[in-house]
Order: sequence, then C-alpha cells, then structure tokens
Amino acid sequence: MTRILMKGNEAIAEAAIRAGAIYYFAYPITPQNEVGEYMARRLPEVGGVFVQAESEVAVGNMLFGAVASGKRAFTSSSSPGISLMQEAISYMAGARLPVVLINIMRGGPGLGGILPSQADYFQATKGGGHGDYRVLVLAPSTLQEAVDLTMLAFHLADKYCNPTMVLADGMIGQMMEPVEFPENYVEEPLPPKDWATTGCQGRDPNVVNAKGRAPIIIKSLALDPVVLEKNNLVLAEKYKLMKRDEVRFEAYKINPKNRILVVSYGTMARICQTVIDELEQEEISIGLLRPITLFPFPAKEILAEAIKPNIESVLTVEMSMGQMVEDVEWAVKDKRPIEFYGRTGGIVPTPEEVKDYIMKILARETPAAKNWNG
Amino acid sequence: MMQTPFPAFDKRVIIFAGAYGSGKTEVAVNYAIGLTTSQNQPVSIIDLDIVNPYFRSREAAFELETQGVRVIMPHNEMCHADLPIILPEIRGEIERSDGKVVVDVGGDDVGARVLSSMVDAFAPKGYEFLIVLNARRPFTSDVAGSLKMMHDIEMSSRLKFTGIVSNTHLIGETTTEIVVEGYRLAEEVGKAAEIPVVFVSVVTEVAQQLDPNVVKVPVFALSRQMLKPWEEKVKAVRGL
Amino acid sequence: MNEKTHAIFTRPQSFRDVVTHYCPGCTHGTIHRLVAEVLDEFGIRGRTVGVAPVGCGVFIYNYFQTDFLEAPHGRAPALATGLKRVRPDLIVFTYQGDGDLASIGTAEIIHAANRGEKFTTIFVNNAIYGMTGGQMAPTTMPGQITTTSPRGRNVEECGYPIRVAELLSTLRTPAYIERVAVHTPQNIVRAKKAIRKAFQYQIDNKCFSLVEVLSTCPTNWGLTPNESLNWLEETMQPYYPLGVFKTPDAEVQK
Ligand SMILES: Cc1ncc(C[n+]2csc(CCOP(=O)(O)OP(=O)(O)O)c2C)c(N)n1
Ligand code: SF4
Ligand SMILES: [Mg+2]
Repeated sequence: MTRILMKGNEAIAEAAIRAGAIYYFAYPITPQNEVGEYMARRLPEVGGVFVQAESEVAVGNMLFGAVASGKRAFTSSSSPGISLMQEAISYMAGARLPVVLINIMRGGPGLGGILPSQADYFQATKGGGHGDYRVLVLAPSTLQEAVDLTMLAFHLADKYCNPTMVLADGMIGQMMEPVEFPENYVEEPLPPKDWATTGCQGRDPNVVNAKGRAPIIIKSLALDPVVLEKNNLVLAEKYKLMKRDEVRFEAYKINPKNRILVVSYGTMARICQTVIDELEQEEISIGLLRPITLFPFPAKEILAEAIKPNIESVLTVEMSMGQMVEDVEWAVKDKRPIEFYGRTGGIVPTPEEVKDYIMKILARETPAAKNWNG
Repeated sequence: MMQTPFPAFDKRVIIFAGAYGSGKTEVAVNYAIGLTTSQNQPVSIIDLDIVNPYFRSREAAFELETQGVRVIMPHNEMCHADLPIILPEIRGEIERSDGKVVVDVGGDDVGARVLSSMVDAFAPKGYEFLIVLNARRPFTSDVAGSLKMMHDIEMSSRLKFTGIVSNTHLIGETTTEIVVEGYRLAEEVGKAAEIPVVFVSVVTEVAQQLDPNVVKVPVFALSRQMLKPWEEKVKAVRGL
Repeated sequence: MNEKTHAIFTRPQSFRDVVTHYCPGCTHGTIHRLVAEVLDEFGIRGRTVGVAPVGCGVFIYNYFQTDFLEAPHGRAPALATGLKRVRPDLIVFTYQGDGDLASIGTAEIIHAANRGEKFTTIFVNNAIYGMTGGQMAPTTMPGQITTTSPRGRNVEECGYPIRVAELLSTLRTPAYIERVAVHTPQNIVRAKKAIRKAFQYQIDNKCFSLVEVLSTCPTNWGLTPNESLNWLEETMQPYYPLGVFKTPDAEVQK
C-alpha cells in the first residue's frame, strides 16, 4: 500500500476501523474532533454505527453495553471528557470487559486549555476511577505507531478482557505524518467471547461457562467480600500477566558510553531524540528509554540501564509537572539521582530547554546531581 | 536548477482552501512572504482557520511580521481559544482596495463554511479561490475524490474555485516522482473542472530537481514554516 | 466596531467596556447586553453572581462587572444550586448554550427546575455546538448539516430537536419559562421583558426561571449575518414557537 499523509486523529480513526471496531460512541471535544468527523464520514461506508452521545458519562456506559455484545467498540476524547468516563471504566474493569479508549490529552486541570499535555498520566496508569483495577496504557510517539498501537489496543483489550487506553497528547492528534496501514490485517487468534450477552437462545443459561459466570450476567457487584476479593485476585493475576508479557519500550542510542539515561514518552520523547542527536555531535553520549506501555511500566528495563557504570543520573522529561517520574523513581530506587524536567499547561518544552537542563546536570548544577555521591 | 517566475495574480484577494492537511497553511504563509518580495505593495494574511486548534498560520506570525506581512489573527488568550473567532477587522481588510490579502482557510467543507458567512464581502471586487491539492491525502488521491472535495467546499463556502495549486507531498519523504504524480492528477482534475493548475508548490530542495519539460506551470519553492516541536531549533515561548 | 460606539451612550454599568470575542452577526452579545441592562435596572449588580458555561459564552465573565463562577461543561445549574442554597440572598444566574444545557447538562437542568431552585437560567439555543466548531446539538434542526451530521440530521437515528422550554414546562413544580428570540428589534424588546420577569421572580424568591433565547451562529451555519436572522425566523421559529410556557401563578398561559 502507498504511504499517505494523515492527521493523527484521522490515522487513529482509520486504524480502529481496520481493526474491526466499527461501533463508535463519543462527545465532541478539542483537540480530537477529527476522529468523530472522520467516523461520521467513514462508518456508513463500512456499515458501522456512530452515536454522538449526550455526554461522556453516557459515552462510557454506551460502551459498556456495546462491548458486552462481544463486538469491538471504542471512543475518543480529551482530558475533561475522559475524567467523566472514569465511573464506567471502573465498572468495565470490574466486569472484565474489553474496551478501547483514546485520550488525546490537553492541558488541565479543569477546563484548562486545548494545547498538548501529558498531565493525565496518573489518571491513566493509576486507575482514575475507584477500586483495585488497572488500565492497559499504550503511548505512541509517531503517527505510524499511533496506527499500530490503536490496532494492538483492540487485540490486547480482547486478550485480557480489560479496558485499554491509547494515551497520546494533542500534538500527536493534530500533526501530519506519512503512514501506512497493514494490508490484509489478521490478528493472532483470540479465545472466543463466550461471555458475551447475546441472548440464551440455543444455550443453557444455567451452564457455568468458561469464565465462571452463570447465567451470563456482566456485572461488578459483589456484596460478599470473599467473592469480591476473588474477583480482585483474578484481576490482579491478569495485571501480573500483563507485566510479564506486555511491557514495550524503545531504546534509542543506548550504549555503554551514555552519561545520562533519559526516560520520556510520546511527543516529549521525540524532542529528547532531537537533543540526543545534537549532543552526540558534541560527543556527549545520552541514551533514551521510551516507554511504549505506560502500564505495564518498563521498570526492570529502566533499572537495568540506570545502573550501568557510566550513568550519572536518570532524567525524566514530561509535558507535566512530574508524574511518570514517580514510576521512574520507584524503578531506580536510590541507585542513581533522579532528575526531572517538565513544562505544563500546554507548553511543549523546546529542544533548547531540554539540552540546557542536561548540560546543567552534567555540570552538577542541579540539586539532585550535587547531592549524589555514588 | 529550475527558475520560474513568482505566480502572481491580478486580483487582490487570494484565498487558499483545500482538504484537511493538504498544506494550505504552508502554501499561504510562503505565498504571503513571497508577495512582499515580489511586489511593491502592502501584504496581509488573514488566519481564517477556525477548525484546526494547532498548526495555523498564526503560529508563523513572528516570521510573517518580520518579513513585512500584516497578520490578522486573534490575540493573547484568544489566540489559543477553543472557539471560533472571527475578527471584525477581517471584513474591512477584504473590502479595502489597496495591497494584497492572502486568506488561509480551515480544511474541508467544514473549514470553508466560514467563508460563506462573509460571501457578500468577497463577491463585489472578485477574488482568486485556489484549491490546494495533495494527492497523498486519503480523500483527494484521485480525480473523483478531488472533484468531490472541490464540490463540497464550493457548496459550503458559496465561492467558485478559480485555480488549482498542486501541493502533493509526504513532508520529509517527498520525492520528485511524488510531486510529478500529484501534478499529473492536478492537471486531470483541472481539465474536468475547467480551471487551470496555477502553480506547483514544493519544498526548495525538491523544487530544484523538477524538470520544466514535465512540470509546465510555475514552480513555487516553499521553505517550511509550520514545524513540529522537535524540528524547531529555537522557538520563543509564546507570550500568553 | 459600531457596537462599541453604540456602547458609549448606552453601556449598562454591569457590562464592561470591551469588545467581545463573538463573531460578526452572532447574537450572544445582544443577549449579554439584555441581561446586563436588567441587572442595572433592578440595581442588583453588587449581589449577583453569574455561572458561565462551557461554550462560546465561556468568556462571559470578561464582559460583566459582576462576580462569576466557571462551571464544568453542563454543570452550571448544580453550581448555581449550591451557591443559591448557601447564600439565598444572592441573585444567581446561569448562562448556557444548547450543547451545555440540553445535552451534557440535561440532568442538572431538569432537577434544578424540578426542585424549584430559585435561580435564573438564560438558555441560548443556536441549534449547534458553536465553540467546538459546529457539531450537531440536541436542538439541531432535522436535515441541518453539521460536522457530525455531514448528511444532515437524521431523525431516525438522532431523534427530533429537543424543545427545552416545553420539556421543562411539563414539570409539576412551579416555574417561569418563556421562549424569545433576538433577531429583530421588536423581538429584542420582548426578550428583555422576559429576562426582566425571570429575574423579578428570583428577586421575589418565587420560583425557578428560565428564558430560552433563539440565537444565531453565522459562522457555523455558514450564512451571512443577515441570512442568519432569516434562517432563525424561517427555520427555527416555526419549530420553536415563542411565548410563555409556564408561570408560577397559573397553568400554561399563552
Ligand atoms: C467534559 C467536556 N466535554 C466536552 C467539552 C468540549 N466542549 C466545549 S463547548 C462544547 C459545546 C458548546 O456548545 P453549546 O453549549 O451549544 O454553546 P455554543 O458554543 O453554541 O454557544 C463542547 C462539546 C468540554 N469542554 N468538556
Ligand atoms: S461560533 Fe457561532 S455562537 Fe460562537 S461566537 Fe461565532 S457565531 Fe457566535
Ligand atoms: Mg449552541
């Protein structure tokens, strides 16, 4: 297939359709409106359904019903809208439903602004709603990756029967890049969705099915604490498997000469790459570890790189006041000084700013670097 | 190296429209800067893109103003507002009789709808209404799709296209073959719609390699203004 | 600019002397002015608190010389409830668009009206989501083209436009509910009277009051300002009849 130029939001929309997700529920919000506009145009061509809901609260619950049918359905929104879906996400996690959510993040808190941000990291990776649950979170940094990860998100959601989020900042939603879509896309086989509520015609509603639900009632209510704990343990088991099998990251210019290990994701990682390339010209060696899955987080991998003998510190760069940095700190423990650089509110740090901060660390002018005695 | 004259027009109002992501803004911004050097008269650019939240001509305001182009755009907080802002001075700028005005419109029929709300301002003195075509965009990759796009934009804007700008590209992956492929499509679209291809636009590096025997219309060399954050070496933090 | 010169002579005290961000021909500005004039006439500016919506009216606090809260999208009636219950001596009003009030905030407005909260709502119905670039609203007319109904609103899938004034009037709880328009001078005069009455009921601590105002959006309708006024009259008004739908003293009075 030829490479075509797409806007991030369109590319994500098309990727979802290619993955067979032709049921789309949403409420308008900038900077992701192009997803809905693209779907309004494309879905009738492929026999899909687009409901513009009355609110994001309704969107979340429309998705609950849609995915309970066993079909692939999804939504896209931006930060304030995703906040309103947290209740439904918690319910869907509890009911073990595969749903895909796209968050094209903008600056918060509150109404905030419409410029790009990465300030929803905590909300996405730590739960967001109530209860003991996790959302699988994928963070693209190029449009091709946005396409690939969107398609993967549907697969992983089905595989783990768990809410899965593609977390991208507004820049990824709005920018243009050449992309291509895999031709004749086939996924590796998944277990049948024998838990779906499709009517008990032709099957015995009382037979305990593979997932232990009899008859098929998709729910998260469990008044008996023993039952509820059991459900949470099932979930916990699932999250353990994700941590074992689904961690994804990219190592960029990581080598034994690196003096600093940078950890950064999404748009911010691309800016860091520019800086790393420039510093390489000046013979200063910096490596980048870019988490692609934010949950499960590549903690072991970060630690392994952080403790290489030449590494003087680990720098996290984010478009927030410091959220992922807490996971990096936890990964590295106290083996290396942890540095952070970030801008927020819709301001994207420039390569210059990041480079200046790296030079300060190397000159031991930052507090963490000053206090570090190895 | 291919040298072609600056593609000038007699009409003072030159409107660039097209599909989302066709590169209208890049062309409009470069064209406005080109006008300041090629013609001895005041030049202004109107950012009429109310559908895109980012990558609008207002982001090149500094460069434009430095080159002597007056930029008509919302200021301060409103510059990044999540709402359509149509400044009252836009109409005045269109109706004036001196200088050149470049209008950068948002994408698709959706972005062009705003023109329709000021159609009475454009009509009396005439205008160039140019469709910017990129054959590497999903909805304008063939003649039928391009004609449909033009039709939809004409319906929503209530203006008639007067020419085609062939701006086929894949950003950093643009080659002469891609440009020529787009130019050929533009010629076919032009024939079907009975309007001329007024110029081909492409980044300078590729423009230099185009064969004038193949591309028979002026080639307008672009220098990229709409950069992504990691492509920008120095960018002043916007005063908000 | 002539809006500004006009303002020199008649600018209400409650209204700031600034140019608004509204598109040429948009009637949001007219509606603001009417509210400001009423606040002046009652002399209640100093004890009035407005609640701003999320929608084109979000910057309303830049134009009023009164205190303001900015609510999450659709939740203004809940904020107003909270404020008014704690400080019944204040005059509280919400200013909301049709996406804000009739879509995401439907629950809040119905329950505020049903509880008979003693605040006033100015509901601006322009049949579209103006702020986010012209998506379909619950009040969008059948067949009307918007960015999320590119083939026109299909009533089979999206139902018919919601008539908010009529809907709220079915509630048993006493309220004052009227629909007006602002597309001609006569209508503007009537709209102002309705807004006055709405605030009067609040001042008298009588009931919940809501004025639905049919308004224009030239930019997203794709019409010139003049054509927009005609479209409002010819397309919206027959579907959204003007008049008083409910008063606290009588059953429907027309
Ligand atoms: C939770 C949430 N969802 C979506 C949005 C995006 N949004 C902002 S304004 C708006 C609709 C505005 O339309 P309307 O209320 O009709 O006001 P108008 O602009 O037409 O006056 C939407 C969907 C938001 N800010 N917050
Ligand atoms: S977009 Fe519509 S509602 Fe908003 S200011 Fe412009 S004309 Fe008014
Ligand atoms: Mg509206």
